[in-house]
Order: sequence, then C-alpha cells, then structure tokens
Amino acid sequence: MSDRVVLDLAAAHPEATVVRDALAARDWGAVRAGLDAAPPVLRSMLIDDAAERDNLEEFLREVIAADPADTTAVALLAAHLIGVGGHDRLRRAELVLLDGVARNPADPALWVARLTSARGLSLDLAEVDRRYARLAEIDPHHLPGQDAYLQRLCPKGGGDWDRLHGWCRAAMLAAPPAAVQARLVVDGHLEHWLGDGRSRIYLSRKPVRVELYEAARRSIWHPGFRKVPGWVGLASSFAMAFSLLDDRPAAARVFDLLGDLSSKWPWTYLGGTDPAATIVEQRKIAYKYAEIDR
Amino acid sequence: MIERHTVDGVPALLAPPTGPTRAGLAFRVGQVDEPLARRGITRLAAHDGAVGPEFTSFHVQGDESATAAFLTGVCASLREPPTDRLAALAALATVDPLRAEPLWRRRHGARDYGLAAYPEWGLPAITEDDLREWVGRWFTRENAVLWVAGDRIPAGLRLDLPSGIRHDPPAPSSALSVTPAFFSAGPDLIGWSAVAPRSAATSVFAALLERMMSRDPRVDQQPLGADTMLVSAIADALPGALIDLLATLRVGRVDEADLTAVVAERIEALRHAEETTDRLRAQAFRLLLGREVEQLEDEIARLRAVTVADVAEVATAAWRTVLLMSPTPADWAGFAAAPTYSASAVPGTTYRSLEDENRRLIVGEEGVSTVDAENLATVRAADCVLMRSWPDGARHLLGPDGIDIRVEPTLFANGPAAVAAIDALIAPGIRVDQPARDTAQIPRPRARARGGPAWWRELAQGWRRAHWRLRWSFAGALIGAVGFTVVAGQAAIESARTSDALYTLAVAVLCVGVFGRAAWKRAALLRAT
Repeated sequence: MSDRVVLDLAAAHPEATVVRDALAARDWGAVRAGLDAAPPVLRSMLIDDAAERDNLEEFLREVIAADPADTTAVALLAAHLIGVGGHDRLRRAELVLLDGVARNPADPALWVARLTSARGLSLDLAEVDRRYARLAEIDPHHLPGQDAYLQRLCPKGGGDWDRLHGWCRAAMLAAPPAAVQARLVVDGHLEHWLGDGRSRIYLSRKPVRVELYEAARRSIWHPGFRKVPGWVGLASSFAMAFSLLDDRPAAARVFDLLGDLSSKWPWTYLGGTDPAATIVEQRKIAYKYAEIDR
Repeated sequence: MIERHTVDGVPALLAPPTGPTRAGLAFRVGQVDEPLARRGITRLAAHDGAVGPEFTSFHVQGDESATAAFLTGVCASLREPPTDRLAALAALATVDPLRAEPLWRRRHGARDYGLAAYPEWGLPAITEDDLREWVGRWFTRENAVLWVAGDRIPAGLRLDLPSGIRHDPPAPSSALSVTPAFFSAGPDLIGWSAVAPRSAATSVFAALLERMMSRDPRVDQQPLGADTMLVSAIADALPGALIDLLATLRVGRVDEADLTAVVAERIEALRHAEETTDRLRAQAFRLLLGREVEQLEDEIARLRAVTVADVAEVATAAWRTVLLMSPTPADWAGFAAAPTYSASAVPGTTYRSLEDENRRLIVGEEGVSTVDAENLATVRAADCVLMRSWPDGARHLLGPDGIDIRVEPTLFANGPAAVAAIDALIAPGIRVDQPARDTAQIPRPRARARGGPAWWRELAQGWRRAHWRLRWSFAGALIGAVGFTVVAGQAAIESARTSDALYTLAVAVLCVGVFGRAAWKRAALLRAT
C-alpha cells in the first residue's frame, strides 16, 4: 500500500485539466467547449474547480461584457469571487448572479453559486430555501447545490438538526437507488458529529449507525453503483464515517474502492493541516485491521 | 372623438354619449397639495367630491337639466364653505387611523406625495378663513376642466368659479438619499415601489409584472407629477423573488406571447373605460396636467407599439429608483438601507425618561430630539410640518422627512417644562389642538426598577427569583466575608501590640478571601438568575 493520495479533481475527471488549460490560455471558446460537454453536475464541479485559478475576474468580465447571456462565464466569475472571499467580493458575486439568473434562470451552476454566496453573506434562511427550491425545479438532484444547502440547514447556518437530517434522508430517497445523494445523509451526520464536539458517542448511536449503513447500501454497496461525478466525494465521506465508527473493515472496503483517489472534504474536519496525511494514516489503520480480520 | 369647448372660462371636453349623459368637473388639487397641518382641507371644501392625490372631481349622471343643475350647484357650494359642518367633520380626524402606506411615507416623507398616507390630521385646526382661502386658491376656472359624455354641453350650465391660475402638481420630494433602497415595515409587509415615466410602456410593464408575479400580486400605478408614475407591487412572495422578477424585466427576458396578451388586455380595458367614460375623465386629468388630449385610437396605437425593449427600458429606469419593503436586508441585491433615524440630535436641554435610563428628550433652539439605545429622532423647529397637541401636555411632532416624535410629559423628569419649551419653538400655524384624552389614555411611567446602578438591580431581581438555597449560601458567604473582615481589622490593630495577633490576622485574611470569593461567585449567579 503506497502513501499516495490524489486530491485533484482531474484524477477522476480529466476534463478538469482541459478546462484549466483552456482558461490559462484565456481561450474562452475552449473553456466553453469543455464545460458544455460535461453533464450538469460535473459541469458545476468543473466550474468550481476552474474558479480556483488566480486572477480570473478581469478576463471573465470581458467575456460577460461581450455576451451578458453567457451564464457559464457568470457562474465561473461568481464562483471565483466567492472562492477568493471577503464581504465585498461576495456582494459583487451576488450582483453578477442577479443579472445572470435574470437572463438564464435555468442554469443550475448559477443557483449553486447563489446558494454558496448566500451562506457567505448569511442571508436569511427563507431566501436560501427559495434559492434551493429554484435549483430543485431545474435539477432535483444537483449535488453541488445540495452540498451548499446542507451547510445552511445546520444549526451553524440557522437551521436545526432535525430538519437537516430529515432533509438529507428525503433527498437520498428521492434520488434513484445507487445515486450519490446518499452522501448527504453521511455529511449530515458528520456535521452533527462535529457540532457535538467531534463526539464519537454521537456517531455510534444506533439510529445514526442504522442510517449510515442504509445510506451505504443505497450507494457504494448497491449493485447498481457507478462511478458517476461526485462518487469520489461520496466514498470519501463514507471512508471517514466508517473510520470514526471504528468499522475498519468497512472503511478498508471503501478505501479499496477509492484507490489513490480522495477528496479533501470531509477529512479536513478531523483537524490537522494536511488532509492527505490524515487520509494515509486512516487508510493504514483500516488495512491493518482488515488484515487481522482476514 | 373628443372635442374641446369652453364653458364660462373653464376648458371642456365633449365626447359622444355611451348611455345617459355623464359629466364631471375636475380640479387640479388633491392630497399632495395640502400641508400636513391642514391635511383634510380639500375634502372639507369639496364635501361632495372625490378627492384623490392630485385631483378633486365631481361626477353626475342624468338628463341634461339635472346635470346642469348639479354642476352649477357644485360651483355655488364651493363658494359657500360648510361652516356649520366644520365641527362635525373635524371630529372624524380623531378616529382616522394612520393608513398602512409605508412605501409612500418612506419615499416622500410627510409632504406632497407622502401626504396621502397620513390621516386628515389638520381637520381640527381648519377655520372658515382657511377654507375660503383654499377654495379661492385652488377651485378656480383656470384650475378646472369640465367633461361631458353627451350630445352637447348641457344648456343652462353655468360654472361660476373665481378666477385664478393653473397649478402644476408639486415636484415629488424624496426622503431617500440613495436608491435602490430597502427598509423594514414589519415581518409580513413585502413589496416595492419605483418611479417610471408616465407612458404606455409603463402601463405594459406594470401589467406584465402582475402577470409574471406569483401568488396574489397587487400592482398599482399612482400618478407622480406630470411626467412620472409611481409603480408599486405588493405580494405574498419573498423579497428575493420580487427582486429577481424585476431583474428579469430589466434584462428584457419577456415572453412575446405574454407581451401580446398584456397589450390586448390593456386595449380591452381602454375600450371598457371609454364605455364607462372613465377614459374621458382621465383625459380631463391629462389636460389639467398640461398635456394634450389623446384620442382612443392614438392611445391604442401607442400600446400596440410597445416592444420588449421598451419594457426593459422602463424596468431599468425603475430599478434605479426602487424602494423595497422587506423584513430582511436586501443589500445583497445592491440596495442601500433607507434612513430610519435622524443623522444628528439637536443641542439643548436634556430631559431624562422616567422609564428607560437610556432614553432622553432634548429640546433646544433648533428643535427637538429623542435618543435611546437604538433610535435617534430629530424634528427641527424650522421645518417641522405639524405639531399635534393635547390639553394634558402630550405633543406629536412631525418633520418633513416623515420622522416623528411623541412627547408624553408624564414620562419625563421635568416633563411640563420640556413641553413649554417645545411650544415656544413651534410656529402657531402648524399647531393642531386635539380634544382632551381620557385619563386612562394618559400614560404613567411603568414602575421603574428601584434606583441604584444596574448591578444592584440585577442582584435584587435575582434575589427575588432565586432558589432559597442560593439565597442562603449567598447570605452566609457574605456574612462570613464581612465578619472575618471585622476580625481581620481588629487583629491588624492588635498586632501593633502583640505579635500573637499576626497569626489571627493571617487566618482572618485567608477566611475573608475564601468567603469573599464564595460570595462573589454567588452574586454572579444571582445576577444571572
């Protein structure tokens, strides 16, 4: 077992490299070609990934000035501004999005960005609910938007645990079997675990365990499971949840599924500055126990 | 086809009848022209007329001679104010509640286009002379237009009105320093208003808004001077949804089918208005604003010519002037918070509230301010628009920006002196005396927490609420601390004579520390109780 962990989105989705390179070359036509070819969820993920590049604002504003209806550029600019952060940039992102949504309300990436900036600006929950409802009208199972909404349903975002868990489970059951939405159930419990002061007692409660394993059977352990966009994040959440539950054999199975791949989330919740190191450590423990088991 | 005539110097519009003869006499005077201290005077003068924001009109339907008799009678009664009814009408003012038109008040304040949102607070002060002056100024033949839907101007119609001048409507004032802006008027009030040109495109814009808004929309258009309208939208929707919709219209994303449908509806409404002579009356109003009369076919043609781009242009102009009423901040949409409080307080004598230690009333040469932990309100004497005063000393002052101050002398230390100082500041012309109130209506200071600083009041309150065990342990610790302080003091004096006392002193000081700490902790617990 190597110590290799690949956190890069491009490892699972090579399209990310294509989009990044096109963006670096300031070749908007190629950026659009890369993003337009992706299915909606992957497109939102690629936009978030590309938005992490530096100094995009000027270039994207030019693109938008040339075609205000190009909401791919709008979503990318907004995600970039939100990612760089700061109250003023979030406000600018909101204004860009307001105009973008007016022109093309059917672009889910705009609503993902609106949900994320609503969180940053601490907009009231009623407005956040409205934004999520608009996204759900376009795509009821848009994981990137569901991620942002989940954050707001936590008590830290103005919600409460009962509503959060209820929504997570409902979102999972509403999605087809084997879908990545099972991750919402896991993340809901990981948020609760964190909110309870990283209490393992919380996770080992029977109803919580029951829900976690139900979610696993409905996704990564479902016969129909496929490596669709979002699967790395899904498996990473399970890997961490099972590690925390000390169900090392189950964690080992998930690490097998992941191979070298992983997402930073939710490992950053374990503390520590280097999620890769945390993952390697937890993976080693999982395999050690799994070996003893065998 | 509308024809122009003149009757006794009054411009007249004549249109073919659509049934029995209908006629009306309209004047360019309304609520927007009234000073707040004489609010209600137009209705008092035109007791049979319909008083709106910008116009007052008298309507009649009947045969030719009845029509003529009615309108001739209107002119006669305008010249003879109903002095016998003044007292009865004035009494109505005391029961007229403040209308829920926060959008108007917030935009314009307590003047011109904000006035329709205020009760007829001037009624008790209106005198016969006021009425005569008002009629002589506004109800003149130059400031009137007659309209008749009939075969001809009724024979024998005399319009005996004084001579005067045509008055343009006032320039709409603004209490908003920056727009678009937002304010909160309570958890359930959601809507916005915006200024748009008085045009066919604006009426299509308003109709489209209503069509595209979900859930119980109410879109109104109010005239705002000769060239603009105030479009307002109230809905059972979230502020974010209203903002998004306006942005949608601003970028011109409008379904052509919706536009066609809305234009067709507007044309239908116009034809209906032509039947009911509502359109003729609207043309009379147009004429009073100094605009030209417009024939039905021209108005229809202008509606048909409205394009999506025209609507987007109206929406863009409207956006810049939006005032949003929202329970939650709308800064995310680039809206500024509308001013709720005055910028500064006046210098002057301070009167302390008997209820709230943070609340103060300040009366100085420049005016009056009230200040508390959250609010600052100032009404400057020089531009105060109304002071309502009650025999018991209560005062209600309003500034032109809509900010108001209520002074209850029973609630301030030295309250009567404050009221006397205020009375000396305020011009008699804007003072409106109110009838005496029931003693039950005069507020008394709520039993102010017994004196002393905040920590003492908290402690006293905690003592009353706390469990007996906490009380006893606090009392015990306190007695211990005080007791050992006395012992320590004695030991300290004693130690000057005998070194044995040093040992006692050390023990006593230690005990003071232990009991003092215990008492301190329990005091903190009590204060938090």
